Amino acid sequence: MAYSETNPLAENFGFDVGGPIAAYWIALLRVITGWWFFHAGVTKLIEDGLNFTYGPMYMQEMTGTALGPIPVWMGNNLAWLIAPGVPLFETLIGLALIAGAFVRLAALGGAFFMTLFWIGNAGFGHGVVNSDFMGLLLFVTMIVLGAGRYYGLDGILEKTGLVKANPKLRYLLG
Amino acid sequence: MTQQFDIVDKVALAVGAALMLLGVVVLGLIEVLAGQPYGAAPLTNEAGEVIATPAIDPVVRTGLVILGLVVLLLWGVYRAITVDAPADRTPREVTAD
Repeated sequence: MAYSETNPLAENFGFDVGGPIAAYWIALLRVITGWWFFHAGVTKLIEDGLNFTYGPMYMQEMTGTALGPIPVWMGNNLAWLIAPGVPLFETLIGLALIAGAFVRLAALGGAFFMTLFWIGNAGFGHGVVNSDFMGLLLFVTMIVLGAGRYYGLDGILEKTGLVKANPKLRYLLG
Repeated sequence: MTQQFDIVDKVALAVGAALMLLGVVVLGLIEVLAGQPYGAAPLTNEAGEVIATPAIDPVVRTGLVILGLVVLLLWGVYRAITVDAPADRTPREVTAD
C-alpha cells in the first residue's frame, strides 16, 4: 500500500474506510449496538408489554435539563405514545441495526433515545462523558458511516429498483 | 454523492464540532481547573449534604453538545434536500464526442 501523508497508519494497518477491516469492525459495532437496544426493548415488552408506564414517569421527572420543559411536557401529554413506544421502538431500532436495514433512520431514533437517557439519568459524577453519552455517539457514528452498507441489508436494499428510482432514500438507509 | 463541501457545509461542520468540543472539552478543562468537584455532579459529604457544586452547570455543557448535534442534523437534512442524490456507483460507459 502506498504511503499516505494524511494517514500514516494506512501503510502498516490499512484501516481505510473502504478496507476490509473497517467494514468488519463497523458491521460488528452495528450488530452489538443493535443487540444493546433490542435487549433493552424486548425485555420491557416481556415484562410490561406495550404499557411501559415508567417511561412517562421518567420524563415527567426530567426537570432542569438542557431540553427545558420539553421532556416534562412529553411525559404529561404523550404518555399514550411513550408507554408503548419505548419498548416497541427500542426493539425495532435494535432489530434494524442487527439486520442492517434502514440503519440511518433507526440510528436517528436511537440517538434521540440516548439524548434523553444522557440528560435524564444525569449521572455526571465522573463527568459529562459517561456511558450514555458514548451510546449516543455510537448511534451518530452509525449514521455518519452508513453502517448498514457493511454486511447489512441496506447494501441490498440500495440496489433495488425503488431506491434507484428514488436515490434520496439512501439518506435513510445506509 | 458529491463530497465537495462548499462554505455552507464547512461552516455547519465547524460550528457543530465547535459546540460539541466546547461543551465537552473546553468547559470540562475549566471544570477541572476550578477544583473539586472535577466531574459535573455536586460533591457531597457522608451525610449527603452538598459541599461543592460544579463550576459550570452540566445543563450548559449538555445543552451545547445537543445544540452541536442539532446543527449537524440540520446540516444533514440540508444536504439531503439540496445536494443531488448519492450517485450510483455502477461505472457507466461514456462515448467520446
